[in-house]
Amino acid sequence: MPQASTISVLVVDDQLTMRALIRNALQQIGFKDIREAPDGEEALKNLLAKPANLVISDFNMPKMDGLALLRAVRSHPPIRQTAFVMLTGRADRELVQRAVQFGVNNYCVKPFTVQGLREKIEQVFGQLT
Amino acid sequence: MTHHNPSEDTERAIKVHVTQGESHVTTDPNVVMTTVLGSCISACIRDPQSGVGGMNHFLLPDSGDGRGTGGDAVRYGAYAMELLINELLKKGARRERLEAKIFGGAKLFDGLSDVGASNSAFAERFLRDEGIPIVSSSTGGVSARRVEFWPASGRVRQRLVAVDNAPQDVRRPAPAPMPAASSGDVDLF
Repeated sequence: MPQASTISVLVVDDQLTMRALIRNALQQIGFKDIREAPDGEEALKNLLAKPANLVISDFNMPKMDGLALLRAVRSHPPIRQTAFVMLTGRADRELVQRAVQFGVNNYCVKPFTVQGLREKIEQVFGQLT
Repeated sequence: MTHHNPSEDTERAIKVHVTQGESHVTTDPNVVMTTVLGSCISACIRDPQSGVGGMNHFLLPDSGDGRGTGGDAVRYGAYAMELLINELLKKGARRERLEAKIFGGAKLFDGLSDVGASNSAFAERFLRDEGIPIVSSSTGGVSARRVEFWPASGRVRQRLVAVDNAPQDVRRPAPAPMPAASSGDVDLF
């Protein structure tokens, strides 16, 4: 069983409040290595400079949205294997289908609970300790 | 008070009522958004330059963590605000030009925690953290509010509603001392 504290995470959202909420939820789950980026463009630069094990990304963002970030991650060999969880709104069925096509590992519907986010991450990494 | 705008004439206005859990965004200068608030909060956010504006209406349950960042209630509130802001940006608003007016957060229920106050505190904190200025607000108190928002001009008309005259969903569950009687229409914001 993987330890959450050994998994590095990059949180990508244009809203500071949402980043703080996700960080708080991740800390409750046991994650310790958490970085943030305000949009896809910054996230990609960040990942290429220092890869992460997991990206948790919003969809609607300026400059580069979540789907474009996902495609960019999957097309850069050094970071291609990064686990990617997309945060979506309730009515985004089509977005989820497109994200699956581009290789998303899982998605989490906002507004999410800590337990809900944990389950989505565990579906990718296995049960976390 | 803003100048008179012909589109604000009642006959020409297209009224859109925003109920709890909804948000609505428009670029139509003839639209006036209306809502009735008890403990709930409405954020009226607009980009004055592009004329895009919208309103949401939400109520966060009292999680005891209304001012923090850990509660599920706050997660819900952040989502409600995000829905509105994303829709504004999609319709052409620019984030750096957004300005907000907030209403609601009254304490209509005696003997319970002041969920209205924690809702107001959440909205104020969210907007401050996101760098969206609050150019006007009317929150708290013990009366329900009937709010009309003209996104094109940014004008808001608020009318305090005696609780017993408010719609069922914002009404006090049991008789209680009346707040100040219903006042006339007042342009305050």
